[in-house]
Amino acid sequence: MKEMLRTLARRSFATSRVRNLIAVLAIALTAVLFTSVTTIGLGFMESLTLTMQIQKGSSSDGDFRNMTAEQFEALQQADFVDQAGLRMPVGFLSNTNRHNIEFDVVDQTQADLTFCSPSHGEMPEAANEIVTSDRALIDLGAELKIGAEVTIEFTAHGQEYSLPMVVSGWYEATNEQTSMMIAGTAFLDEYPAIFEYTYDKDAEIAGTYWSDFTATSTVGLQEKMQDFSRDVGGNPEDVAASNYLPAVINTMTNPTADPSLIFMAVVFIVLFIFCGYLLIYNVFDIAVMQEIRRYGLYRTIGMSKRQVKKLINRQALWLSCIGIPIGLIIGFFIGKAALPKVMTFLAVSYTNIVSEVSPSPLIFLGATVLSALTVFLSTRKPVRVAANISPIEAFRYVESNTGKRTSKKSSLGASIPRLAWSNLGRNGRRTFFIMVSLMLCIVLLNCIGTAANSMDIEKEVALMIRSDFAVVNADSTNGQKGFSLREQALSQQTVEDIAAQPGVIDGSLVYKNTLEDTNVTFDWGAEFIEIEQSPNSGLMEGMTANYLFYNLGDDGNPICNVYGMEETAIARMVIEDGETDAHTLYEKMQNGEGVLLGVQVDYQTMQIDKSSDFDFLNVGDVITVYKNGEPVMELPILAKAARNGDDAEIGITANGPLTVGGDGLFLYLPTSIYKELYDEPVAYKYAFNVEESQRESMTAFLNDYMKNVDTSINYLSADSARENAEGTRTMIKFVGGLVGIIFGIAGVLNLINMVITTILTRRHEFATMQSIGMTNRQLTKMMIFEGTYYAAGACLFGLVLATILNLTLVKSIVGSIWYFTFRFTLLPALIVSVVLLVVGAIVPVLALKFFNKGSIVEQLRIAE
Amino acid sequence: MDIVTIHNLKKNFGKGFRLVKALDGIDLSIEKGKFTVIIGASGSGKTTLMNMIGGLYEPTEGTVIVDGINLAELTEEQLTVFRRRKVGFVFQDYNLVPELTIKENILFPLSLDDSRPDEVFFSEIVDLLGLNEKLDAYPYMLSGGGQQCTAIARALITKPAIILADEPTGSFDVKTSQNVAGLLKMTTETFHQTLIMITHNLELAQLADCVVRLQDGRIVE
Repeated sequence: MKEMLRTLARRSFATSRVRNLIAVLAIALTAVLFTSVTTIGLGFMESLTLTMQIQKGSSSDGDFRNMTAEQFEALQQADFVDQAGLRMPVGFLSNTNRHNIEFDVVDQTQADLTFCSPSHGEMPEAANEIVTSDRALIDLGAELKIGAEVTIEFTAHGQEYSLPMVVSGWYEATNEQTSMMIAGTAFLDEYPAIFEYTYDKDAEIAGTYWSDFTATSTVGLQEKMQDFSRDVGGNPEDVAASNYLPAVINTMTNPTADPSLIFMAVVFIVLFIFCGYLLIYNVFDIAVMQEIRRYGLYRTIGMSKRQVKKLINRQALWLSCIGIPIGLIIGFFIGKAALPKVMTFLAVSYTNIVSEVSPSPLIFLGATVLSALTVFLSTRKPVRVAANISPIEAFRYVESNTGKRTSKKSSLGASIPRLAWSNLGRNGRRTFFIMVSLMLCIVLLNCIGTAANSMDIEKEVALMIRSDFAVVNADSTNGQKGFSLREQALSQQTVEDIAAQPGVIDGSLVYKNTLEDTNVTFDWGAEFIEIEQSPNSGLMEGMTANYLFYNLGDDGNPICNVYGMEETAIARMVIEDGETDAHTLYEKMQNGEGVLLGVQVDYQTMQIDKSSDFDFLNVGDVITVYKNGEPVMELPILAKAARNGDDAEIGITANGPLTVGGDGLFLYLPTSIYKELYDEPVAYKYAFNVEESQRESMTAFLNDYMKNVDTSINYLSADSARENAEGTRTMIKFVGGLVGIIFGIAGVLNLINMVITTILTRRHEFATMQSIGMTNRQLTKMMIFEGTYYAAGACLFGLVLATILNLTLVKSIVGSIWYFTFRFTLLPALIVSVVLLVVGAIVPVLALKFFNKGSIVEQLRIAE
Repeated sequence: MDIVTIHNLKKNFGKGFRLVKALDGIDLSIEKGKFTVIIGASGSGKTTLMNMIGGLYEPTEGTVIVDGINLAELTEEQLTVFRRRKVGFVFQDYNLVPELTIKENILFPLSLDDSRPDEVFFSEIVDLLGLNEKLDAYPYMLSGGGQQCTAIARALITKPAIILADEPTGSFDVKTSQNVAGLLKMTTETFHQTLIMITHNLELAQLADCVVRLQDGRIVE
């Protein structure tokens, strides 16, 4: 029997070419969906892990710090440790410019785990050899070559060192702001004083042993690490303890599961299984119905239900064996191509995005299992129908209207469109599935189109920068630093050089107070419940009852963040309350009549965040300005502005203001008043616009200038901020479009399959109609109407559903993300609708041409 | 000895005003090895009666006993096995499997039962039905008569208790009809099998040992 069943399955498989083609396409498409998404998903996770590891600077499973030599030795012998690296930190170099360089002694294991093994040259061996990044070498003014000489300056145990070193190797920087510089253990032997262990006395890290390690197993690792810390006499919890021995698991390598990510993954899997189900179910349902008489015969002459199921399952298996591998290969390459686009999404949050995906067996295994599951689920019902069909019913089976309608009154006779209309829904369930799959395509693409259309690039740019260019000291763009000292000011010469470039308009120097300006303070009645020295600024810090921290000046009043700027710069700000006309406001301020107060912006509305703890002063409230302990001005608040990143420091970083003013007020003054108040006013930023035709040359000029003339500066441009934002929009369009198009193909395939099946199963009916006078043209017209009705129905319902979803779900999702401004559109749905209508009209014509050949008599005979 | 015993057999379709009494109290016994013809007008219940003997329909009332088996007592799966082993079907439109050769078509019911063919019996059947030269051909390569011979061979191969033929000559001309019917009768006689045939052709009915005439679901003759 098995042999016969195999033969039967094989031969009937070989004769059902159209069915096979469509089924293989359907299964392949499902596999493409799963593979591409699994590839993107796993690649995304893999790349994100690597990116995060690079950002953190370690691919280890965890690390220990502040160890003694004995503790480090014990760690190397610990059961849970596979490989332990040696790291003896010295400290940050002090002779750097815009790049932070941490100087440590490390071994090869540590270098490998922390991404600082040389890609050019060798690991340092001699005491005067170092390895560091290209970016660090450039920042130190050294040549990018093996053997280059470089001077390093640092402080350890209170002693300043300036040492001439030689580059034994270098690697490409993985972080824009910080690099490691490593020396070998020979350096340790050469300068034993640096590595004297005094941590238990003065918390000096030079002399301590640190170690990044890989674990034999990550199960219960955190507990094992803490136990080890205690076992060797350390304290893993108390930062202030003299034996503080932190044992930190690397959450980049061993992340905890994010429920929202898992939920998203489940939603996508269910959505794709549903899409595949719609497609594969229809293919098999149609195939079974086409051959229902045959199954009836089999059952009549004694084929059991199990044998019928086996027969169809075997064919489904073969179709899967062809479709799934095709889908796996196509899906993998689609996913691989899409991954970099997806990763650009992360560029908003993470720098140095690494795009990595390898043909992991997990991808193929996962996608195969999900595709096979979809095929299995999709074929259950058709298989059951075929197996359970009563032999008698099967013999009598004709595709008929399954509705309850049994009679119809008509006074108009049978026109072609009416005939086509009455043919719809002969199989309600199948019609429903086809409509749903076509609708899904319309709705999904429209939702994605709306999301992409709602991405407010200018809003994102506006939060980053208000002018075309902003030139600052490089420290302002350094995540570990920020503008807080006078020495970080822009030089007069630099500003003049930039201002002299063609096309520069609306330029304004922006002055800002620094940590040195402690003799100018502000009082608005703030009361502090606690005052102590700030660990960040070294100034005294007052805490209010609302837990706001203010750096205090010489007289005990807050020094705040105070800016001085030209009218052009003030005019670029979003002024809301009080005097909103920038010119009038500026004039009043110039006359000493008041001040502009900056309040945190609400990202959603781009207006003042009224709910913020920082918005506690009103227009009209008076701020008293003190200089050298004496009140010198009474400045009423004339207006309030919604403060963005650009109004604080640059972009979205605000390290400088945090260091200088703490949570202090942001006060904006005209340049003249600012200069009057502060003894040594310094400009930290030059913000300016450039005529459009000159923007490219300005970019080139600035790149060249900061490389060759003033290496202390850096800049941000609206164009680069716009480019970043565009990347996100492209990713949404690409990935969303991809999913939508796959759903679209699924819908169109369903439509094609249904039209072809209709024609094949109704050849006798067509021949009958033609025999009583219907022309080929009329037949074609009828089928075009049928195809178009299906498409039109799906479009109509799709448009209604898209509208509803746009105004509810999409609006609420989009509204919750700050750089989106909901903009309603039905354009994508309309475009897809047109395509579906055209497909709905063309497919019947082609199908009739290919599958309804021959004379009426021949067709009547074939059908019999 | 009776191979088929039917008592007070009733079969209704539909409900209420749509109720159709396809069979309305049939009592019938068919002797083993005899050729019985069922005749009657369209809608008289011929095919329904045959399907009930073949275990394809459940009776509304009454009993059908074939070869000592009460069909009402069988489960669906047992009915499948019953059809496979006890009944040979011959249809008007042959219902051969187009993907299988003539030989494979004939042996198909056996293979469904995981049974090995009786080579001698197989040779006798194909000799008798003139299919010797056509065993490797596919159904579409044979004439209608050839295809129906294949269907007859397929019905005989399992040595069933009864052969049910539903208008097996309905699509043939007079001469072919007589040939096919003759072959059917001859083979069943040769192999001592019981043949129950539905036909509209009264000439063919004359070949039968017994003729049952149905009218409105009842035996009238």
